[in-house]
Amino acid sequence: MKKRILLLAALLAAIGGAIGLYFYNQKMPSMVGQKAEMTLSAADLYAAFEADETAANARYLGKILAVEGQVREANTLPDGTVKLVLDTGKDFGVLCEFDPNTPHKRTRFEPGERLTLKGECAGLNFDVLLSRCAVVE
Amino acid sequence: MKKVCLTFIAAALLLASAHAQKFMTRDANISFLSETPLEKIEAINKSGSAVLDAETGRMEWKVLIKNFIFEKKLMQEHFNENYMESHKYPNATFKGEIANIKDVNLSKDGNYTVRAKGKMTIHGVERDIEVPGKITVAGGKLNVMSDFKVACADYNISIPSVVRDNIAKEIAVRVEATLTPINR
Repeated sequence: MKKRILLLAALLAAIGGAIGLYFYNQKMPSMVGQKAEMTLSAADLYAAFEADETAANARYLGKILAVEGQVREANTLPDGTVKLVLDTGKDFGVLCEFDPNTPHKRTRFEPGERLTLKGECAGLNFDVLLSRCAVVE
Repeated sequence: MKKVCLTFIAAALLLASAHAQKFMTRDANISFLSETPLEKIEAINKSGSAVLDAETGRMEWKVLIKNFIFEKKLMQEHFNENYMESHKYPNATFKGEIANIKDVNLSKDGNYTVRAKGKMTIHGVERDIEVPGKITVAGGKLNVMSDFKVACADYNISIPSVVRDNIAKEIAVRVEATLTPINR
């Protein structure tokens, strides 16, 4: 009986350990499979931060947003990371840094084209920054 | 003679203000590494911002905490939720100056060893710091690099005892950025 209990405890510990290890080793998921909590225009998102940064942080920070706008600038960093700036009609825009965990179908973009990008809102740093972005098709 | 002298001073002032060039970037790489015998944790942020006045050496840096990218999901979650509380403190900043600006000429190509002195704010805690750095001036751009340590305890970042041996007490931070002139 005692042996059985010990065996059961060892088995439970092994299962627990395996589950723990699975979660511990889980990679950052691709943005493609994640659902946007809100959809809005680049101009509206920037206007919210420009009007009241604290209130905009409370509303958007850490949320997955789908943001629609016109590409103002398209840059590729030396390491291959793509960054797009969506126009807001103001000096600064919505900066979308592409997700390193997503195999992007497109990495070249032209100023002027309209797009919707999905990413996590990271806050205001001159531009409003959307982190880990992927194009919404 | 007096008139010539005044004209000369006015021209010199105009020239000086034209040289008071400001530089900036929105692509600064800010990375950090915590290394213990048990675990290595690293993350990188590729969208740090910086503005630097080449004449006075005054500068400001800012990085958004939620844009630090980790390899593992759990690490990124713990970093944001438990340690940095990025919902409350969404950014980290440095406001200060190049302490030895008199020894460097940022309008002339070359390699300069600098010391940055000022106020660092992380996790809502502001502290006076002084860190070393290198600036390479080439082709009208400033390549900035700095390596320094940040102690978690200095910024009220508490590490639970259960993971005390997994996280370094001092985190190695690296800043790499190319600042370009602001067009006026």
